[in-house]
This record gives sequence, structure tokens and C-alpha cells, in this order.
Amino acid sequence: MPSESRLLSSKALAVGWAVVVLVTVVHQVRFWSSAQLDPDVLALLPREGHNPAVEIATRTLSEAASRRGAVLVGAASWESAVAAADAVTAALREAPVDIDHGAAQTFEALVDFYRPWRDRLITSAQRERLESASAEELGRIALMQLYQPAGVRFGEWRGDPLGLWPAWWAARAAETRARPRDGRLWLAGNGLEWIVLPFESRAAGFSGTGATPISDAIAHAQAAASGVAPDAVVLAAGVPLFAEAAAARASLEMNVIGSGSLIAVIALSWLCFRSVRPILLVTVSLLVGCGVALSVTSMVFDRVHLLTLVFGASLVGVAEDYGIHYFAARQGRMPSERYTVLQSLLPGLVMALATSVVAYLALGLAPFPALRQMAVFSAVGLAAAFLTVVCWFPLFDRKPLPDTAFARNVAASLLHWPRWHAGRRGWLAVAGLGVLIILGLTRLDSRDELRQLQSAPPSLIEQQRQVSALLGLPSPAQFFLIEGRDDQELLQREEALTPRLDVLVGQGVLTGYRALSDWLPSLARQNENARLTAKAEAAALAIVARETGENPARIEPSAKPLEPSEWRAGPAAPAMRSQWLGRIGGDEYSVVMLMGVTRESLPSLQKAAEGLPGVQWVDRTADMSALMYRYRVLLGGLLVAGYVAVWAALAWRYGRVSWRALLPTALGSLLTLAFFGMVGVPFQLFTVLALLLLLGMGVDYGIFLIEHPGDGKAWLAVAVAGVSTVLAFGLLALSSTPALSNFGLTMLLGEVLIWLLTPWFRSPAAPRHGEEEPVLARLAD
Amino acid sequence: MRTLSALLLATGICVAPYLALAADIAAEVRARLAESPVVRGTFEQRKTVVGFSKPLASSGDFLVWRGHGVLWQTRKPFDAQLVLTRDRLVARTADTSYQISAGTEPALRVTNQLLFAVLAGDVESLQQHFRVTGELDGKDAWRVALVPTDAGLARFLKRVEIDGDRYVRHVRIDETNGDSSAIRFEALSDAPPPTPEEVKRLAE
Repeated sequence: MPSESRLLSSKALAVGWAVVVLVTVVHQVRFWSSAQLDPDVLALLPREGHNPAVEIATRTLSEAASRRGAVLVGAASWESAVAAADAVTAALREAPVDIDHGAAQTFEALVDFYRPWRDRLITSAQRERLESASAEELGRIALMQLYQPAGVRFGEWRGDPLGLWPAWWAARAAETRARPRDGRLWLAGNGLEWIVLPFESRAAGFSGTGATPISDAIAHAQAAASGVAPDAVVLAAGVPLFAEAAAARASLEMNVIGSGSLIAVIALSWLCFRSVRPILLVTVSLLVGCGVALSVTSMVFDRVHLLTLVFGASLVGVAEDYGIHYFAARQGRMPSERYTVLQSLLPGLVMALATSVVAYLALGLAPFPALRQMAVFSAVGLAAAFLTVVCWFPLFDRKPLPDTAFARNVAASLLHWPRWHAGRRGWLAVAGLGVLIILGLTRLDSRDELRQLQSAPPSLIEQQRQVSALLGLPSPAQFFLIEGRDDQELLQREEALTPRLDVLVGQGVLTGYRALSDWLPSLARQNENARLTAKAEAAALAIVARETGENPARIEPSAKPLEPSEWRAGPAAPAMRSQWLGRIGGDEYSVVMLMGVTRESLPSLQKAAEGLPGVQWVDRTADMSALMYRYRVLLGGLLVAGYVAVWAALAWRYGRVSWRALLPTALGSLLTLAFFGMVGVPFQLFTVLALLLLLGMGVDYGIFLIEHPGDGKAWLAVAVAGVSTVLAFGLLALSSTPALSNFGLTMLLGEVLIWLLTPWFRSPAAPRHGEEEPVLARLAD
Repeated sequence: MRTLSALLLATGICVAPYLALAADIAAEVRARLAESPVVRGTFEQRKTVVGFSKPLASSGDFLVWRGHGVLWQTRKPFDAQLVLTRDRLVARTADTSYQISAGTEPALRVTNQLLFAVLAGDVESLQQHFRVTGELDGKDAWRVALVPTDAGLARFLKRVEIDGDRYVRHVRIDETNGDSSAIRFEALSDAPPPTPEEVKRLAE
């Protein structure tokens, strides 16, 4: 019988925990009513890096892209394209997107803005020509411009006698493919006339409901377009679409994994206990665990990532351990003994909790924000489920809970489980396993790619590819980062880089680039250009005067250069905002974006930055792969160290039999890797993380069987807990996110193998201290 | 009453064909133009340029080779050649040549096509970018006026007028900047075919 004081203190505990749970419920209601779930894969990028400017550049570029997208409407003729585009625009009116119709008009505003400085804006090819051309040559060019029947000319001949201005615009316009036509954005490609409809998403966060309003609206728009122009093609691309698809998939997976595991836990509880009470209480412990985990995660991090929820859903299959252990031990005892039962279980449960929490927290060692969230979520969730068992279970579990036939059979099955003997057959089996492991490991491939964190429907990826190719979109992952003391040094350093890029564009290594200094040349460059044009135009005008007998005067451009402050207030600045990062830690930074980057062009691009002060080549894809490789190796080392540490701890407590607890986990892990090698599943960072977690969880089974040799109750708990854990990770293995799938698969295979191997390596049945007697006696009646 | 009817009738007679023709004037013009792959001739151009008190007169000869391009050879007041193809516009004089526009830029490609279409009288392709009005005159002659519908084109072109019969005879181009060019074509013929030198120029 529990003493008065213990009952009181346990009641205080229960009330205290109820307050925590109540606060969590309130927080959860508020969280889900304004859910800010983060579906952006770039949010997974590690914050750790050698250069904070690189991180800021990446984040600025991804934030600029996060709400923007484009719908391309194509048809064989311009008229059909216009009709189809109008139908698409009408169909998208209901969708949470704003179509930017102003894009076609901005060109006019830009030309008017830059006009006063046109003499300061010339291309590098023009600069070379003006430097080398003789006065006679310049005169002839001016005369040809003058006598030419008509041409592209933004203003009077006197305002640009050599016709320099349109070519500068042509170079600027070449940075994008779409052109204004009849007040729309147009491009020609793949044999079709396309109308570009840039849009901005209005979707406010992702609530995990699985709705895809933008994609749905685009599907409707496609149908509407086909209605007016049967040959119309509608392509949509942009981060909002990927985010939406990721959110829908994640919410589906979260539901499948969470409810699948929950159903398994309920079914197993019913089989074992044949009573509603254990089912209700275990479910409550899981709900509380997940709720507290989510609340704490959302408080620790600004935004909860969708992948965290998908991964967190698998917690249902792990956190049920404590409840199941309690009821397995409690089954067949008097209700009055429940505090004693809990008391006796507590050291083991605390131990199991501690090892699992440590193993989960190890996931957070890699500097990936999503992994850290998963680590915090899982560790907190386990602790909360454990506290629910300790604080609440004895209080609500007041009625008898008789043994069931199923529980008895499972408990008794331990006695019939095959056991390893150090005989000829035993060593042969071990040798067989060894050969299998060596064969598999030699075929194991490793892979470190950021893409493993991404999952998107193939149709979206294909559309994105087509739209990128048609629009000539710049690469978000490869760019040059420019650094300067002030804006002038920054622009001059860019101007040192761009001639090298021009050469690469000429060689076809790149299709183009976009640099701030093209839209806002440094003051030095502007003055040099102004001097050059003034001299050349004066020479040309003198010759025109000689030939025509008239005395045309040049329309004088602005005497002062275009100042950065003036430019910032002008219409060209918004488009460059994501490239001019501004001041970071005392220095000015900008990004030079690249178009048409391929794997083959990377070495030449890297070389282009060599020897230029303040110019850094950034390849985020390669950086991420290198980082993932580094952490794979680092955590691999940690895994080995973990095994050594666990072995030391086990040896300290169990002496010569400690290998029986550790070997199944080691063998299970190695066999899993061997299997991966044989079927071609890559070995990656997430595999190592899963192996770490396996060490933390797998050893528990061995510990339980060593602690209670021949105890069927421990075996029952291990068996039931194992099945639900395996199921939860098995469902995670079905995730469309390659990294989570790999993690889930490693856990699934590893758990099953460890679960099978642990009883195989159990100690000979000789009971310690006669512990087996009461168990067998209970099983017998 | 009778006068009114007669007036209406007369107006009707005059207006009805005009309306009908405005709709498919392009097809009519094509029907009246010689279907020859090559047109040669001489030109006289008077260009009024803002800032110059007198019109600038120039003359020379030209070749329009359908599907290939235009050679515009100015002889007076100086020797110069414009080579206009679908993809580029190159100017040459005795000792210098420079590319005015390249085909990588779609807007300039449209402009090139446009100049080509104007010189070739290809009204049908001009309809893509212009509102076309026009009339037929007698058995052979025709006259069209083009106003750009495209804001990009309207930035430098205000209005183009073309008239002709089997050939384009006159072109008048009003530019947005206030300049205007009046070009008269003469000595028009379908022959001879392009010389190897001309073929080379257009292929470069």
C-alpha cells in the first residue's frame, strides 16, 4: 500500500502535470489556428558556415523567390495565346495569387529613368570600339545612323548620334527572355508563342490541411485555356507551387504515419490487455507527448518545419513504450500494487528514456535546422509521454487488469525462441552472417546530396525545368559574391569580374549573367564612359556637319553621374533588391547571378573568380554536399565512439555477458548496411543518424533481457513495443522525402533484425536469484 | 428624297468596298504584288530629322530577296550598305562595318522583320504588329497605312504608309521622335537574280 505522503505527492505530481498539459492544449489550439509551418526546403540549409555573407545571400535570394512564380501560356499563334492567357487570368482570379500585369509596362519607366545618363551607360564592346575608332569611322557611323530609313531609336538622333543607347538596352534586355508585346510579357520558344504571367502568392502560411489551392486553380486554368484555344499549353512554376505540394504530401504522410502507428498501438494494446483503460491511457500519453513536443518545438524555433511533423509522427510508435511497459508489468497484479509496480519499473524506464533521448538529441549534432527540430521534438515528446505515464497512469488505473491468453502466449514464446550456442552450428551461422555483411558492405555506395531533402511531384519538376529553360532563369545555388568597403569598391570589383564572364558567355559556358554594376556602373566607370562618348560624339558631329553643311548640336546628357542613392529610389532598383545585399558586418555585398549554369561550366566559373579581390565563387550545392559528407564522416566517428561508450557502460554493469546486449544491435546495423549495399540504397548522412538512434533504442532490448532473464513480461513489453516501433518507421520509409525514407528504412530493417537477434543471443535460461519462479507461477495459472 | 437616296447609294458604293477591303486588305495587296522572289530597283529617300533645317536626301539601289534579306546600298551622298536579314542588321561603309542589332534580341528581330516586310510589301505579316487600314485604287494600285498596336514598336514608330501596284512604290515612315522618311522606288524589276557577291553579303 502506498503511504499517505506518497499518495499526496503523486496527486500533486498529477495536478502539476495537468497544468502543463492544459497550457499545451491552449498553445496547440492557437498554434493550429494560425499555423506557420515551413515547407521551404531551403529553410533546411544549415546556418553554420565560414562566411555569414554567403548565408545571408542565400537566404535573401530564397526569400525573394519564396512567394513568386510564373504561369506560361503558350499557343501556336499570338492570337490564341492571348485568348488562352485571358482565360487563365480569369480562372486564376479565385486563387490566392496576384498576377503582376505591370511587368510589361516597366520597360517604359526604365528608359525614361536612365535617359539623362545614357552617355554613361555603354557596353564593354562599345567601349572598346569608341576607344579604337578613328574620327572618320565615327563620322560614318553617325551618318549611317542619320540616313538609315528607320531603326530602333529611343529618342532623337541628336540625343544619341552614334546609336549607342539601343545596344546597351539590348544587352540589359538579354538578361531576361520575356519582352513586352501588346502590353503583355511575351517570349517565343519551343515553336510556340508564350505569354508570361508572373504571380505572387497570397497564401498565408501552411496549416497542414493538405489543400493545394494554387495548383488546383492552375489545373482549372489549363482547362479554361483549352476551352478557348485547343492547342494551348499552360506551364506553372515557382516556389509557392513546390511549397504547396510539399505541404500536401507532408500532411498526408504525417496522417498516415501518425494514425497508422496509433492504430497499431491500439490494436496491440487490445490484444494484450483486452481492456479499454490501457488503450485510452496509452493514447493519452501519446497525444500529450506529441502535443507538448510540438509546442516546445514551436517555442524553441521560429517556425516548425513540415519535415519535423512527418518525422515526429513516427514518435507515436516509440513513445508508446512507457505505457506498454507499465501495463505489461501491471497486468495480473492487484490494482493496489500499481504504485509498487511503477516504483519497480522506474529505474528501467528512466534508463530507457535517457538512452533514447540522448540518441535522439544526437540527431541535432548536424547543423541542419530541420534535424535539430526533429531532435528537440522527439526528445521532448518522449519525455512528455514518460511523464504522463508516471504522473497519471496509477491515478486513473484503479480497476483490475487480468492476464490475457495472448499476453501469456507471447510471454511464454521467449522460452521457445532459438538461442545461440557456441557450437559448430552457432559459429557456422555467425560466419555466414559475417560473409553476408562483408559482401554487402563492399557494394555500399555513399551519396551526399541536398536533393535528398527534397520531394516534389515529377510533373512539377518537369514544368519548372521547362519554365526555367524558356525564361532563362538564373541559378539560385551558384553565384558570385562580391564584397567591398563601400558601394564604389563593390561596383568596381564587379566590373573586374564581368569582362571574364563576357568571355565565358562568348564561349557558351554560360548563357548570361545579371550584375548590379550593369544597371548601376561605378562612378569611375560612368565618368570614363561619359568622357569617351563625349569625345567620340564630338568627333562624329564635326564630320556630320562637314558632310551635311548643317550644324547639329548634341542634346547634352546630365553633367553629373547616376548616384547610388538616386538609383535606389528609381524603377530599376526593385528588380535588383535581392542581389544588392547591402551592408553586412561593415562591408557592402552583392551577388552576380548566372544563367545557363551546367555541371560542366562549374570549373570555369570557379576559375573566373581567381585573382580578383573581393570576388568569391559560391556553389551552394557543392557546399551542402561537402557539409553532408563532413557530418556523415563526423557522425560515423561518433557512432563508433557511441558503441565503445555503451560497451563500457554495459561491461561495467553486466560484466562478461554485456556483449549479449550490444552484439545484436551491432549485427543488426551491419546487416542493414549490407542489405543497402546489395540492393543499391545509398549510405548517407541520414543512414548514420538512424544508426545512432538504433544504438540508443536497440540496446534497450538486450538490457531488458539481461535484467530479467527468462522474464516473459519483459519479453512481452519488448515484443509489443518493437512491433509498433517497426511499424512507425516502416511507414516513415514510405515517405516521398528521400532522406526520411532512407532514415525510416534503416530504422525498420535495423529494428527488425535487432529484435530477432536479441533473444537469439540471450543468456542461458538459468534464472538469476530465482526471479523466474513467480513469473512462471503467474503464467501457469 | 431621291437626292438623299442617291447620296446614300453613292456613299454606300464608295464605303462598302472600302470596309470589305479593310478586312482583307492584306490578302488583296498580296494578290496585286508580283510574286517574284527578287525585287530590285533604285530608291530616293528624303529624311526629315529633328535638328536639321533641310531634309537629308540620299539615293542608291536595293535588293529584296524574299526569305533571305535586304541589301540597301546608299550611293549618295556617301557609299554605305545596310545588310538586313532575319537575325541581324549590319551597316558597312568602305572601311568599317558594325552590327546595329543582333538576332539574339527578340524585339530587334521583330524590327528587322518589320523593315523587311515594309520593303517587301508583306502586309500580312505586318498585321501582327500593326492596325492596318487601306484601300485599293483602280485595277492595280493599293495603299495601306499602318499604326503600331504594340507598345514596344510605338516607342519608335508612329505610322507607316505604303503604296504600290505590282511593286511597292512609296514608303513613308513617321518615327515617334519626330523624324520622318519618304522613300520612292524606281526602276523596279524581278531580275536579275542575286549575284554571288550579294548572296555572300546576305549569308554572312
